[in-house]
Amino acid sequence: MPTIAIVTLVLFSAALACVLVVRPALTVSSTGKILAFGVLFFLPLFSLVAGMENQMQRSESTAFCLSCHIMESYGKSLYIDDPSYLAAAHYQNHRVPADEACYTCHADYAMFGTFKAKLGGLRHLYIYYLGKPPLPQDIKLYKPFNNRECLHCHLGARSFEQGATHNADPATLPAIKANTLSCVSSGCHDVVHNVGHWGDKVKFWDGGS
Amino acid sequence: MRPGGSIDRRLRISGVFVIAGLLIEALCLVWSRPIAFVVLVCIGGALIGIGVLFFLYSLVSSTVEPSE
Repeated sequence: MPTIAIVTLVLFSAALACVLVVRPALTVSSTGKILAFGVLFFLPLFSLVAGMENQMQRSESTAFCLSCHIMESYGKSLYIDDPSYLAAAHYQNHRVPADEACYTCHADYAMFGTFKAKLGGLRHLYIYYLGKPPLPQDIKLYKPFNNRECLHCHLGARSFEQGATHNADPATLPAIKANTLSCVSSGCHDVVHNVGHWGDKVKFWDGGS
Repeated sequence: MRPGGSIDRRLRISGVFVIAGLLIEALCLVWSRPIAFVVLVCIGGALIGIGVLFFLYSLVSSTVEPSE
């Protein structure tokens, strides 16, 4: 449900509740009792669930992730004009949806992956507001990046299955698929965001505008 | 006011909680910051929850006068 529709519903519910607060005697009639049930029970709970669902959906957007100051340089890394930067190459070529770029790669494609990602988000919030947030360049993944997240899209793709490097050694492709040879930390695609290590020569894409 | 005026008072209190919760929810929905979700759930959700529970309590605790 779009945000504007939920806000309208919430304000409409609040307006109806105002009517009941000002004129509680309306509940004398059976119609009034039904109105009271709708206004003080059904509509608030429905609005709350719709609002929470909307916020959960919003938390998957790139803009949401980058709204934390600490993530600014990670957002900037998506615009680096160098195809060896994995995150930038994926973002700029729409290999991941541009409006859900962070979530697409950083949520597990497994059972409870979405739930874990949301819990992780709450943990980030806690650290951001109540803890001691690390410097952007010191942010590390909680656990090594699982190839499963890459293979979710690349498995079966011709460029992956028949790529020269992937097939140079017959053991490489099975090792990648078994997650024993990491895509991003085995020296192959290890330039991802590289925040704090850009140097002076790095250039940025203007976003195609 | 009805003879059992306390139910009117309880409905009012319940309504005030629900309105406060809904207004906080509306603000959180247009507030594009990560903390908005926490505020929505912890403050807005709590107020709405209290309002709804108080409404239910007012229903079960209201005394029905026997008809003559």
